[in-house]
Order: sequence, then structure tokens, then C-alpha cells
Amino acid sequence: MKMKTFLGVLVLGAFGAAKPGFAHHAFAAEYDATEPLTLTGVVVTVDWSNPHSYIHLDTKEKNGEVKHWMIEIAAPSQLLRHGLRKVDFTDGMTATVKAYQAKTDPTLANGRLLELKDGRSFYIGSVGGPNDGAETQAHPFLQ
Amino acid sequence: MPLVQWCYDLGVSQTLRDSTYLFAVTQALHVLAVTVFVGAIAVCDLRLLGWGPVGQSRASIARGAQRVLIWAGLAVLATGIPQFITNALTYYQSPLFVFKMYLLAAALLFTATLRWRVAVADEGRWPSWVPRAVGAVSLVLWVGVTISGRLITYYG
Amino acid sequence: MSSIVATFEWLEGLAWTTALRESPYGYPLLETSHVAFIVVFAGLVITMDLRLAGLAFNQAPLAQIQQRLLPWQIGTFVPSALTGILLFCVDPLRYYRNVLFLAKLTFLLLAGLNALAFHIKTSRKPAEGWDQDSSVIAMARLAGVASLVLWSLTIIAGRLIPNNWF
Repeated sequence: MKMKTFLGVLVLGAFGAAKPGFAHHAFAAEYDATEPLTLTGVVVTVDWSNPHSYIHLDTKEKNGEVKHWMIEIAAPSQLLRHGLRKVDFTDGMTATVKAYQAKTDPTLANGRLLELKDGRSFYIGSVGGPNDGAETQAHPFLQ
Repeated sequence: MPLVQWCYDLGVSQTLRDSTYLFAVTQALHVLAVTVFVGAIAVCDLRLLGWGPVGQSRASIARGAQRVLIWAGLAVLATGIPQFITNALTYYQSPLFVFKMYLLAAALLFTATLRWRVAVADEGRWPSWVPRAVGAVSLVLWVGVTISGRLITYYG
Repeated sequence: MSSIVATFEWLEGLAWTTALRESPYGYPLLETSHVAFIVVFAGLVITMDLRLAGLAFNQAPLAQIQQRLLPWQIGTFVPSALTGILLFCVDPLRYYRNVLFLAKLTFLLLAGLNALAFHIKTSRKPAEGWDQDSSVIAMARLAGVASLVLWSLTIIAGRLIPNNWF
């Protein structure tokens, strides 16, 4: 187990995969670290763009209504570093995103961790953000 | 590492992390302070290169710039250090941030020693290529620090 | 109004703007060079302002710093503006709807007008006499302080754009 952890650290060190994200703006300028969300829904589309990318996600509310989320995630340079590519997304696929709610816009969130149906997970954080361990969660062999 | 964690846990860090405006305003003021600093560096480097305000001696421009550099430098630190401690854990792991700090150390050392001596020396003290080379190296170092700071956002 | 939006939608849909928006290297390099050019440009402008306002470099004649730095200010302003225009083309609607971007443009415009006014008002007075002419000194002080404030606001507003406030 220790050996595995050690190897994990080595691999991460080599690829820079666990390097946390930085971004253009302060996390708290827009998002609330005390409002974590776990959103599962249909990926409508992904804006793979600078300086931030966005996942447009449709979730089903308890009352059956569809809610459209705009989830800010990292810039392409950061996403690629964390192993996520544009082609990993297909419009209409199901995905789960761990995120934080925006302070003012109720349909905006800041994504931290993306879980795909095939079992892969990716760190997608775009800003410093809370020290919630999302980076290491995306790489289970570190745990 | 414990020092980094201690920075991260400070009350100031917590306040900056949670505030809607404080951290962002600190970032903006940092860029402004850097701009004033680089301006004072650049006017002196241009003069060393034999351009800019050539009607003034190198020494008088360097002495004039020194006051600006000290005040702007203090402002750079006052806005830079809070940014570091707020996200100390993240910066600590960022190769580009570490690179920026080494480059900054090199630029500071170069500016305080060789560049200062060449700038305030009598004009005929060295062959003309020396002040030119010193001006060019200084400009590259300081613009390099600025550029590496900006790139942290993208390539951590 | 809607024709502006339609134009911006067309602009952001073009192949080259889309490619830049999605690129892992092109956009970061474009944005970084924008910042680097601005830091040198505005830095030299502020250096000049400090002299005009009488806050630094006072041993140099008033006109010396102002006139000898002008070519360098123009030489760094042009690439700052060109990279800025490119950045705007990559995401026009985002900037069009961003209050801080519009504020930045306003400060930029006012800073330009301030510089122009100073140039026009001093253009007929020979530079050698500036330091003895109290009206020029007063004008320089006013223009210098105004320029310091306006360029500082331009930079601050520019750096705050990505926070999507307002």
C-alpha cells in the first residue's frame, strides 16, 4: 500500500496531475465555499474555452422540473494537464459534478470534480477554492 | 510545510479567502504596484541602453528611480504576500510560482548590486557595451518575472 | 442594439476566434503578452506622470522625461492595444456585457483625452522654457495627477474584469 502511494506521488509529480488550479479571479469573488453541491444530470454542452470553460448541465429537481446549470471549470490548459480532453464529452451524456454554488446567481456553480459514467474522475477546479481535497479525490490511488 | 500550513490557517488568509471583494482588489492593486515598479525599472534600463532621457546622466535617473522603486516595491510586497498566504498550499506546489520567486531573487540581486554600481558610476568608467548589457539583462529579468507571474494562472 | 449582438455573435463564431478561445497555448500567450506590454507601457506613462506631478525625477527638466519617453510609450501602447483588440474578438459578447470592461474603456478614453489636452495646450510653448513657466508647471501638475489616477483606474478595472461582478 505504501509502495502504491509512493508510486502514485511519483506519477503525479511527473505529470503534474495533482497540481491545483489557479485562475483569473478569486474564488470568493463569485462562489460560496459553504455551499457544496453534488449535481448529476445531462451534459447539454461544454464550452471548452478561455479563460474558463463551462459545463452546461441539466439536472432534475425534486419536483420534477429541469434545472439548467452553468458550471465554471478550468481553462483548457489546466483541464488537459489533469487528463481531461474536449472529446471526453459528448452532448447528452450523463455526468456528476461536485461544485460550489455561486453567491448571487442560483444557476451558476464552480466545478471541482467531474465523475463520468465510465468510472473516470477528473479534477476540474478553476480557482484556488476551498482546501477540500478535490485534487486528490480525482486520483484515488493517492488515498 | 508546517510554515505553509500556518500561513494558510492565519486569520488574514481566512478573511481574504472568504471575502467577495478583498482578494480580487488585492490582485488588482498588485498589478498596479508591479506596473509602477516596472516603469521605474524600465526608464533606468532605457537610459542604460543609451535611449530614453539621454539629457540626464545615468546616475541621476537611477537615483530618481530609486525612491519610486522602494515605494512601489513595498506596495508589491504588501499586495503580494497576502495573496501568497491566502493560497499558500497551492502556490507551494506550483513550479511556475517557485520559478517566479527564483527569478525575482535573481532580478533583485542583480538590480541591487551590478546594475546599481554601473548606473551610478562615472559615465566613462566602463566601455559603452557594459551599461547597455546591464540595461538589457535587467529589462529581461523584470519583464520575465512579470510574465511568469501571469502564466501561473494557466500552467500552475 | 441587436445588430451589435448579431455582429459579436458572428465574430465569436469565426474559425480563428473559436480556435484561439479553445487553445491551451495561443490564448494564454496572447493574454500574457497583453499584460506584459501594458505593464511596460503604463509603467513608462506613470513614470512620466510622476515627473509632471512633481513627485519624482525632479532633477530632470519637465520636458525631458515627457518627450523622450513618448516614442517608447507609443511603441508599447500599439502592441497592448492590438493584443487587447484580439482578446476582445475572441469573446466579444462577454466583454460587451461586462460593466468593468466598459469602465476600463471609459477610463482609457479619458486618459487619452487628458494626454491630448496637455499636448495641445503645451505645443506652442518651447520645451526649454517649461521649467520657468508657472502656467506650464501648473498644467503639468494637473495633467500628471489626472493621468496617474486615470491609468491606475484603467489597470484596476482591467484586472477586475474576470470576476464577473455587476
